[in-house]
Amino acid sequence: MNHAAVDLDQVFKSFGSIVAVDCLSASVPAGAIYGFLGPNGAGKTTTLRMMLNIISPDRGRIEILGHPSTKDNAARTGYMPEERGLYRKMKVRDVLTYFAALKGMERRRLAGAAAEWLDRVELGQWAERRVEDLSRGMQQKLQFAVTVIHEPDLLILDEPFSGLDPVNLELLRDIMLSLRQEGKTVIFSTHMMEQAERLCDFILLINQGRKVIDGTLDQVRSQYQSHAVLAQLEGDGAFVETLPMVSGVSRQGRALEISLREGADSQELLQALVGRVRVRSFAEKAPSLHEIFVHLVGRRHE
Amino acid sequence: MNKVFIIARKEFLETLKTKAFLFSVVVVPLILGVLMKVGGGLKKRIDAGPQPPRTVAMIDLSGEFQAELKVLFQQHNTSSSNRRILLEPVSPEHSGEAEVEKLKGRIREHQLDGLLWIPPDVLESGGERPRYYLLQDSIAEQETYQAVRRLLNDAVVSRRCERRNLSKALVDEIRRFLPVDQLDVRSDTGSQSQGGFPFRMMVPFFFMFLMFMGIFGVNQQMLTSVIEEKSSRVVEVLLSAVTPFEFMSGKILGLGGAGLVAVALWAVVAVFAALGWGLGSVFEVTQAVYFIIYYVLGFLLLSSIFAAIGSACNSLKESQSMVLPVSLTFVLPLMGWIYIAQYPDSWPTVLLSMLPPFSPLIMMIRLAVRPDLPLYQIIPSIVLLAVATLGVLWASSRIFRIGILMYGKPPKLRELLRWIHAR
Repeated sequence: MNHAAVDLDQVFKSFGSIVAVDCLSASVPAGAIYGFLGPNGAGKTTTLRMMLNIISPDRGRIEILGHPSTKDNAARTGYMPEERGLYRKMKVRDVLTYFAALKGMERRRLAGAAAEWLDRVELGQWAERRVEDLSRGMQQKLQFAVTVIHEPDLLILDEPFSGLDPVNLELLRDIMLSLRQEGKTVIFSTHMMEQAERLCDFILLINQGRKVIDGTLDQVRSQYQSHAVLAQLEGDGAFVETLPMVSGVSRQGRALEISLREGADSQELLQALVGRVRVRSFAEKAPSLHEIFVHLVGRRHE
Repeated sequence: MNKVFIIARKEFLETLKTKAFLFSVVVVPLILGVLMKVGGGLKKRIDAGPQPPRTVAMIDLSGEFQAELKVLFQQHNTSSSNRRILLEPVSPEHSGEAEVEKLKGRIREHQLDGLLWIPPDVLESGGERPRYYLLQDSIAEQETYQAVRRLLNDAVVSRRCERRNLSKALVDEIRRFLPVDQLDVRSDTGSQSQGGFPFRMMVPFFFMFLMFMGIFGVNQQMLTSVIEEKSSRVVEVLLSAVTPFEFMSGKILGLGGAGLVAVALWAVVAVFAALGWGLGSVFEVTQAVYFIIYYVLGFLLLSSIFAAIGSACNSLKESQSMVLPVSLTFVLPLMGWIYIAQYPDSWPTVLLSMLPPFSPLIMMIRLAVRPDLPLYQIIPSIVLLAVATLGVLWASSRIFRIGILMYGKPPKLRELLRWIHAR
């Protein structure tokens, strides 16, 4: 695939006087897992809804899988909204086939696909039960199945990890990774940086409707020098805290995590250490997304 | 498969499965049927069944009727043994004011059922009128009163005959009652239909009720299901697959289909019931066709309004303040149905039968009363309703499109109007 899975070009959306998305441009490469990061209220959900043509942008252009964003893309997109919901009174199997049919799946393939996905999320025995009889965790699994049953090329998940128990979290991650293996594109929004870090090939960070940064995880990291060093020292390291370039020290097992002041060079620290103690290991700590996030967006959004 | 169809089919099937629907379709006519059956049976039993004998005291100040009435009451008691009335003559020396009061007291205490008081000058013209004291609280007492009155009248007539030397038999012959059969020209058998008369009067009401239940009862489901879909956030997944308009149309079609099923079932039950009661067929094919036209349009009108209201609200409770004025408007004709049925061609009736949203209910009453309503009245009424329905459908779909994704405070009317014009 040579085209981008999603292409946003100067997309703008406001609700009344509130600007939700402000001239956002971004490109989601096909076959990637793409993390859409930002604090609450940054415009993530609005952007995702516009990709799905649930709402339309005031200005700008959106292309999905090489086509303008219309409902014709429905068959090729799968969507899991942040607030999940299913028909509580319907049978589990009926819910699955209903949504698959609405997404444009051929009628004759519905039953087979439903059975397959019910097995895959371990709900096979519950097929004839009503949704309201399922536990919360099982409802989450059913929601995954609803999202992917029609084999979409583009998966859009809004805060997919919120409220998941660890087992389902793992299950969802497996589904996402196996879909990427099949060459499908996964976009998900989150404000949980650890999840993004573990899964994403690309990230886009937005704040107040504007793009802050995007690129591969490495690209983003490399733009942000770390301000921390992990060092294993032999001897008394108590003096480290008093060094002028050090802003803080915390113990990480046998190692020390040493935070540097703004503008300080880690090589200076190394030199300062070498004279006083034996340095067994010394490594610049790669900046975590969390740190970048906090750095860019500010602590008030935590 | 077309997506509107998929949604319609799901709504249709799921609606048929809901308890509320099953209840209204099966249980309501059942209860109505049982009630009418029991009510009718009870009435017949009361009409024909034996009543405990009534005791009626008599004070005859004229002294003319003691013997005569005794005989007449005996005749009455043998001919209608289920309605026996025991006459308890009070001797004239005990018939002062005090005695009357005492007897009235006994009536109050249910020891006595009535007191017939005959004035001394009852046979003179311009004489005082007889009185019958009773507790006016049941129909059975009325029956007793009627019987006593008739018997006294007979006694008076024969006394008058005697006074004028007329033959009682001759007078009876002259006064013989002439019954007149009433025949409805619509009934095929040509049999006299005195018994069917009150039921026939109920036919317009039934038509209107059917229309009302079909439109209103079923559309409650529209309101609840839209609100449920919105509050459970199912809509977001749906709207990633279909447009709001497709979604709304599918829902309306599916529910409308379920409504048609319900109405058809009720109608079938009604037709069989009517046949069972010997009423013959209660409506004609043209009426059924008009019913369907008005039902479909009326249903579309209300269900699109309810869809819009549901989309703008987050809970049933929130929606009530918006539903109430709509409901009241639709219910208005129910209040005046007797007037409309009595004067199907008066100008207020004709005017109202032209105006949506009243036209479906009012036209049904008019058509039930007058199946030969002129086309020049029916067609404009249908056209106006269709135009209004299309307009409301359009406006509602505009509101729906925005409302369905709005959470938080329910919008004011002004906001709803703005949504209609929003891009």
